[in-house]
Amino acid sequence: MNRLTTRWLLFAGLAVVVVVSYLVNVDLTTTVSARIDKAYRYLEELPEGTVIMVSFDHEASSLPEVRPLALVLLRHAFRNDLRIIGLALYAEGTSIGYQILAETAAEYDKVYGRDYVFLGFRPQHIATILGLGESIIKVFPEDYLAHRCDTLPLLSEVMNYEEIDLVVSIADSDRPTQWVEYAGARYNQRIMAGLTAAMITSHDPYVSSGQLYSVIGGLKGAAEYENLYGVKGGGNRGMLAQSNAHLYIVALIILGNIVYFSAGRRKGGR
Amino acid sequence: MDIGVIIAGLLTLAVYSFLYRDNPLYRAVESWLIGLTVGYALVTLWQTTLMDMLLTPLLKQGRLILVVPLVLGLLMFSRFTPRHSWLSRIPIAFMIGTGAGAAIPAMLYARTLKQLSSSVMPLTGAGGGLNIEAIVVVVGLLTTLAYFYFSREHKGLMGRAAGLGTYFLMIFFGATFGFTVMSRMSTLIGRVDFLLTDFFRVIG
Repeated sequence: MNRLTTRWLLFAGLAVVVVVSYLVNVDLTTTVSARIDKAYRYLEELPEGTVIMVSFDHEASSLPEVRPLALVLLRHAFRNDLRIIGLALYAEGTSIGYQILAETAAEYDKVYGRDYVFLGFRPQHIATILGLGESIIKVFPEDYLAHRCDTLPLLSEVMNYEEIDLVVSIADSDRPTQWVEYAGARYNQRIMAGLTAAMITSHDPYVSSGQLYSVIGGLKGAAEYENLYGVKGGGNRGMLAQSNAHLYIVALIILGNIVYFSAGRRKGGR
Repeated sequence: MDIGVIIAGLLTLAVYSFLYRDNPLYRAVESWLIGLTVGYALVTLWQTTLMDMLLTPLLKQGRLILVVPLVLGLLMFSRFTPRHSWLSRIPIAFMIGTGAGAAIPAMLYARTLKQLSSSVMPLTGAGGGLNIEAIVVVVGLLTTLAYFYFSREHKGLMGRAAGLGTYFLMIFFGATFGFTVMSRMSTLIGRVDFLLTDFFRVIG
């Protein structure tokens, strides 16, 4: 079998595993980890009307992973009547962030300007994070929809981090660490992160040290959060496919090792 | 069906056609993606930076102080002429100075001091028993540092410590690789979810 055929078969196998996992209707139970529970409890216990900031610090390519996570977090916040200030520190996160925020706000009949606002994007994230600690209106004189921010009721009550209980950075990069370094260290702002799975290990030290309040990581994190929230969504839908895809990869690794060592033994025996 | 869903579905299939073999359709979609990404970023930056933060306040609101960043920004273009390229050092110096000034204290505190202090934990628990987590952290930290200490030959105790450090490093790399695989699988799953639910409408 040539290399191209082998590669083709491996990819086709993976596609079959994922598609079949979607077509069979099996409800896979996921255990809620302590970190997800901590994040959920925190949001659950915040008093009605509390302001949280959600920053969409990701690119479009990671949307399949961050969207379920962002949706369940925002739904939870809106269900508990928390008020949300959205923004983006990645240009690509701007329209995605607004779309997700507006979509979830509509589900709960939330009013733009009173219950939520979307500030839009600012380049130079360090200056932006530091600037928000002084004055939100100075950094964002206008919001994403070109309203003057000083005319929005929500922003007339919120000047800077003093009035914001929590910042959630939904990211596919190390942007949450910059929130920790500039908003956390300098303004004592509580930071939480919603991350793609690939970024979990690089943020672990910040969770252990308490600099990040908690981390919701990957599709599995979204699925666990959905279980606590009580409404299953994209996270849970993908869990069976993810588990089966992992089993498929583990089987390939075992098979590859068997082929490698048996080929080595044959060579050595000659 | 929504036209956006049809376009997204066809583009997704075009990208996945690469798994069979490289083809013109895949290359065309790849070029569109790059063009769109750059175009979107450029327009966003133009609107949110040049217009919102510089040109509108300067020209419409008369905030003359903004002439300073405008001139500093324009000086960056002096790099295109060798005779005047030295002028670009002024805005670069400004950027490095402000950047370092903002970053050094924040990073020193958040990445070094705070991380260091959280690594120092009591080795015994509240009941007097051993705190296994703290012991693993201390051993892992010291042996990993030993691995990266190159001023002394890795022999004897130093060699054994560095050897143990490689195991901690391998565990970290393994975990990172595992999470990266999980992440890439999630991306695939997200696309399959979209194709089956919205594009082919196989599942409701």
